[in-house]
Amino acid sequence: MATAPSTIHVEVLRQSTPDAAARTERFAIPYRPNMNITSLLGEIALNPVDVSGKATTPITYDSNCLEEICGSCAMLINGRARMACSTLVDALLKENPDQPIRLAPLSKFPVVRDLAVDRSVLFENLKAVKAWVPIDGTYDLGPGPRQFPQTQEARYPLSNCISCTICMEVCPQFNTATNFVGAATIAQARLFNMDPAGSVLKEDRLRALAGDGGIQECGFAQNCVEACPKQLPLAEAISATGREVLLQQLKDLFVR
Amino acid sequence: MATSAPPAPSLAPLRGVQPLRPASGHSFFWHKLHSLSGIVPIGAFLIEHILSNAEALNGPLAYAQQVRLLNSLPLVRVLEWTLIFIPLAFHALYGAYIAIRGRATVNVYPWAGNWGYLTQRITGLVAFAYIVYHLWTQRFSGVSLPEHPGAAFAKVQHELANPWVLAVYIVAMIATTFHFSYGIWLFAAKWGIASGTHARKRFGGVCTVFGSALCILGLASLYAFVGNPKYANAPADAFAPPAIAQPAPVTPPQPMTTQ
Ligand code: SF4
Ligand code: FES
Repeated sequence: MATAPSTIHVEVLRQSTPDAAARTERFAIPYRPNMNITSLLGEIALNPVDVSGKATTPITYDSNCLEEICGSCAMLINGRARMACSTLVDALLKENPDQPIRLAPLSKFPVVRDLAVDRSVLFENLKAVKAWVPIDGTYDLGPGPRQFPQTQEARYPLSNCISCTICMEVCPQFNTATNFVGAATIAQARLFNMDPAGSVLKEDRLRALAGDGGIQECGFAQNCVEACPKQLPLAEAISATGREVLLQQLKDLFVR
Repeated sequence: MATSAPPAPSLAPLRGVQPLRPASGHSFFWHKLHSLSGIVPIGAFLIEHILSNAEALNGPLAYAQQVRLLNSLPLVRVLEWTLIFIPLAFHALYGAYIAIRGRATVNVYPWAGNWGYLTQRITGLVAFAYIVYHLWTQRFSGVSLPEHPGAAFAKVQHELANPWVLAVYIVAMIATTFHFSYGIWLFAAKWGIASGTHARKRFGGVCTVFGSALCILGLASLYAFVGNPKYANAPADAFAPPAIAQPAPVTPPQPMTTQ
């Protein structure tokens, strides 16, 4: 077995404000086994001194759960979008021996500071497709309708989305030219359309997805399926939802 | 002293990629029309075109008869414009518009579907450029084949005699049949006809076999023009009676032959 390195070299693309120019800072971190990227960033925060010994500030990044369930820590790690908390340093060193680990903010979202980006576009998109079950009212609506186990099983994988936006980051169609809505929102529209109570808003959701930037912009590169850390069946969700959006448009054209 | 209220959520427009715009624009319609037009009429025409060209494998006369047959269809010029030229122009131009708005990422994410995405755009642009050239050389310049179907074989053979042109035709044949067969698969995936993971995979196999067969048939027809010694130096008019093979008639023609 190759001997473990004593230090890990890290290069971080930083910028102090949304409009500041980005610059690269290099760090040398003492190696410990079984580190992940968030613990690496934690080490830098404990001792924010770059490789030349110059004092700097701790690196700003989003994280919360540290177990790949909150979805906040997505960033570019060695150029690829991944979750910082579930990406292991040992695996990266094996992937790219003798290379520094490169960290950068997601490239398709406005940078807030360092590795923290503004992912509000996903929240706006989820609102645009009404990705919820409408249960608010002035009186008790009573128990919801029964859900067959088959429906639950079909919905469960879609409910695993952690809103990390990795599917959007890796998508060639998600960009400022198309303003494509992205896989996560389509999958959530499907999740709530399949909910017996949520399906009351189904037609609204399907109509919303036919607006500009809607499901039609999908180019079926399927990067979302490959990259999604929670293995959502995104290609299937987009395909099936694409059919329903189209049928809804035809229905609106011929029936409404 | 009042504690300061939490900052109001920013109402400034988002930077970067903009949110979905429900109920706005017509891009859904145009995208669907683009994808449908690739199957019918353009894809259907491509199949017809490659099958018709395969008549070249049966020699100049058979090829000329096929060209004559097609040009004898009722309203053939109207059909040509409404089912071929106009849909093709729309599909090509809107396709180019779609292509330039994508951001290919195969350098970072070298996955099969991502390569398919990029290849579909490249082959589309290759086919676009080729078809403009092909329409000019074979349809809109030189001897007019609708009026002289007998000249079809010789005209194509003459063009393909240039090895560079032949190379262009081979590349374009591969690009076009790939674009069409992958396009059928994309159509089935995006329209939700084959939506499940297994269905999409199975249908991918069907499209691969179909596209390869179409490509091989197209390449075989090219061979008929340039490689088959039997048809080398095809007559300028396949319908003209062979001039040299027959000796000049010594007896005067029968005066009373009808027709
Ligand atoms: S679908 Fe997957 S990649 Fe996309 S936001 Fe949800 S968890 Fe992340
Ligand atoms: S910190 Fe919650 S997903 Fe990484």
